[in-house]
Amino acid sequence: MLQVVADGLIVGSVIALGAIGLTLTFSILRFANFAHGEFLAWGAYLALSALAAFVAIGGASAADATGWAAPFAPLSFGWPLVAALAVAMLVTALMAWALDWTLFRRLRVQGAITLVIASFGAALALRNALFFLYGGIPQYYAQALQIGIPFLPRSVYGGLRFTPDQLFVLLLALLIVVAVHLFLSRSTLGRAMRATAHNPALARISGIDPERVLRATWLIGGALAAVAGVFVGLTVQIRPTIGLDLLLPLFAAAILGGIGSVWGAVLGGLIVGLAESAAVTLVGAEWRAAAAFVVLIAILLVRPTGLFGEKS
Amino acid sequence: MAAALVIETLQAGYEPGLPIVRGASLQVEAGEILALLGPNGAGKSTLVKAVAGLVAVSAGRVLLQGADITQVPAHRRLALGLAFVPQTENVFANLTVAENLELAAALQGVKPRQRLPELYRRFPDLDRQRSLRAGRLSGGQRQMLAIARALILPPAVLMLDEPSAGLSPRLVGEVFLSLRVIRDEGVAIVLVEQNVKSALAVADRAAVLVEGIERVVGPAAQLQGDPRLAELYLGRRSVTAPAGAI
Repeated sequence: MLQVVADGLIVGSVIALGAIGLTLTFSILRFANFAHGEFLAWGAYLALSALAAFVAIGGASAADATGWAAPFAPLSFGWPLVAALAVAMLVTALMAWALDWTLFRRLRVQGAITLVIASFGAALALRNALFFLYGGIPQYYAQALQIGIPFLPRSVYGGLRFTPDQLFVLLLALLIVVAVHLFLSRSTLGRAMRATAHNPALARISGIDPERVLRATWLIGGALAAVAGVFVGLTVQIRPTIGLDLLLPLFAAAILGGIGSVWGAVLGGLIVGLAESAAVTLVGAEWRAAAAFVVLIAILLVRPTGLFGEKS
Repeated sequence: MAAALVIETLQAGYEPGLPIVRGASLQVEAGEILALLGPNGAGKSTLVKAVAGLVAVSAGRVLLQGADITQVPAHRRLALGLAFVPQTENVFANLTVAENLELAAALQGVKPRQRLPELYRRFPDLDRQRSLRAGRLSGGQRQMLAIARALILPPAVLMLDEPSAGLSPRLVGEVFLSLRVIRDEGVAIVLVEQNVKSALAVADRAAVLVEGIERVVGPAAQLQGDPRLAELYLGRRSVTAPAGAI
């Protein structure tokens, strides 16, 4: 029972990071970006390429790396993956901004429906580019098998185990969520983003440069998606369909939490993760996606604006 | 010295080829309140939104203290001295009162400690509600916050779109009293109003807009009781006096 909750929190923290970017894009750019899931997949693969490059530069393979490239025991990775994560965040952020520059910017005057359809096309192109560049075989950042560390014995609600990588994912996800919250609530740019999400016209006459806010939204959304993608790679595996598989849970989390709310996206992500985890254990893995939507429908019936959403 | 705001034969609208403002020309001096009156659909709100940069201008010019700002993006006009308070949704409801004002200060490069204490003294209700979300303020408090936000950088021109909408007579009196104080500090105020009586009572001059162009412009005191005002509001076309005929 406890393990179901723990697994749900790990899946949920990945969904939450992706959903933060999605909810920011949704509220500030006013369209549902179906290409957002592909930023996760690209983030995971960019980190894989950067990792290979860093290990090669270090002169050792990932498996028997020593010195600079050695894993931080008991984690499965060391400095090369941390540096690769930073590179993936930067490049994915720039990629998201470039996608806006080359595609969405030109279509913005056409309205939200055109942008949504364009995002479907962008998602297809980005996903198939990954198949073309990396192939469809699942890959991993490290080959070493991680053993779960028992935190509670089986006699206590079925026991509780975490691998060190899973704990790292949970902790870093929490730190990133707090950092995003502080950025949005304390910094001028963060407040300007919240203001623009609420009322774009008022934001303009208040002196907020809409282009600056759009740029920040894409960069932050892309960077967070890359982190989520690397987390999927660390805790599950890297495959080109990461984005497609996570797209609906991301939307479920963003809508469930209330569009535009960072804490809503976090809570929504955790609820979706818990629902998926519970469905796998209690009903069967084939009901995984359905469980998230049952929870979504149930919450929207009670609170149509989502958990933290406000009536417009 | 150049007028605070000059609007020259301005055409503006939401759809290309369908102007709502059709060649309006107005001038507002520093330290005066110009009431912009007219029936529903006359283009009053569209005119001030066009001057603020929110509605596309297809012809004509807007001069702020002598400088042509017609092509200046909306987000740069506040720094140049043009402040605008829209009719509805004129505060960021998802931010607190303090966040609304601190954001406005930060965006204009004003240190909050320099300007905010003065604004809180001027609007004591806001001082008491600093940590409250702006969406939870009463109508009058929201209007005060919207005006305070517009005053973060002392503007040359302050435009307000129906600040009395939805307010009780007492609150309308308070809002208009604060406008007089701001006017006396040398700010040029453009006041769009449906409430003709209240607007003429507070304004120095008034302009009546009909079908996107000013039909009558003159001192507010003289316009009070002018029979042509009622005729223009009721839509009689016989009144075609040129601007400044009073």
